[in-house]
Amino acid sequence: MEADDLALISRAKAGEAEAFRALVVRYQRKVYAVALGIVKDRDLAWDVSQEAFVRVHAHLADFKGESSFSTWVLRIGSHLAIDALRRERTSSKEELEEVGDLDLAAGGEGILATGLGNDPQQNLLRRELATQMTQALAQLPEKHRTILVLREVEGLSYEELSERLEIPKGTVMSRLFHARTKMQALLRRYAGIKAADDDQAAASAGRGLVPRRRGDS
Amino acid sequence: MNPCLRFAPMIGARPGELPDGDARALADHLAACPACMARAADADALAGLLSESLLAEANARDFSTFSDEVLAKIPSYREAAAGRRGTSNRPADGLWSWIRHHRLATALGTLAPALAALALVVYVDRGRGGPGPDDVLVQVTAEGGSATVLETSDGPVVLFGDDEPAGT
Repeated sequence: MEADDLALISRAKAGEAEAFRALVVRYQRKVYAVALGIVKDRDLAWDVSQEAFVRVHAHLADFKGESSFSTWVLRIGSHLAIDALRRERTSSKEELEEVGDLDLAAGGEGILATGLGNDPQQNLLRRELATQMTQALAQLPEKHRTILVLREVEGLSYEELSERLEIPKGTVMSRLFHARTKMQALLRRYAGIKAADDDQAAASAGRGLVPRRRGDS
Repeated sequence: MNPCLRFAPMIGARPGELPDGDARALADHLAACPACMARAADADALAGLLSESLLAEANARDFSTFSDEVLAKIPSYREAAAGRRGTSNRPADGLWSWIRHHRLATALGTLAPALAALALVVYVDRGRGGPGPDDVLVQVTAEGGSATVLETSDGPVVLFGDDEPAGT
């Protein structure tokens, strides 16, 4: 927990609106990011994340500091996002057609790591990548989208995912595996195109520009 | 069985999430399987990129009104919550009001079984102990017939005797 979270919480509990505002400002984007990842609709994610903070305010007196404030807020946000998704669920027709069965014999391609690179600082300077990622995420079936966001953005462990989603730990692992595989399939084309562009640019510039994995020299 | 089928779902586990035996077996497999090593690299890349991409989406949005909107929603949420609490408490409140309003009737209703039980005890006791001090059993005999008459404050009551209607 950030050092002054507790101080802000204490002041907010005492009724100081500006202290609570400071907490909102501190975590609003993270809560929104989690909500957006789950509900995939910007306006709904906005409403969900605002509701999360309103609920946080209503239950501030119950916050004992056993977990970090950010963990608590994110948990409320993701709960509300999942609830919102259930309410908004219309039919599975909206979902992307299932990606074909994984051909394990073909082996992993490592295309995300080599094609996109894994240095967020470098890559995310390009808004295009963020857009591609969120678009790909939005095309995943709900259960795969949710588990990926809870795992990779909220940072839940297998145990926590098992509890939150009420599925056995083995199902958590296999669902995550399928979610990653589908995400990889959706990004493959983009990553392939990007790698080819980078190769071309490198050839014309006479130096290597293909994103390298962290640690490569 | 292709060993990748066993190990692929374990890829992406964090330290401590797999039993020690599985973690060691996975490490051994990754060292020997380029395909799974590539999958692991993808899982790592995806983990970082997904989080950063969603945050980038969030950062691209104007949040200048966000906290104001949150603070503006708090009073109405509080009122709604109080209303819900009021609604949920209403049946209990209503019952309590009814009890207060019908205190006498409620008290009598509550006492009725006890009073009935007390009356039964007194009646049985009186039956067992014979007539009360004001009541006198009188055996009346006249012209070869007899009757047992209970003298009460309301007058004589023939309990049994020859004056019962014939044929009964």
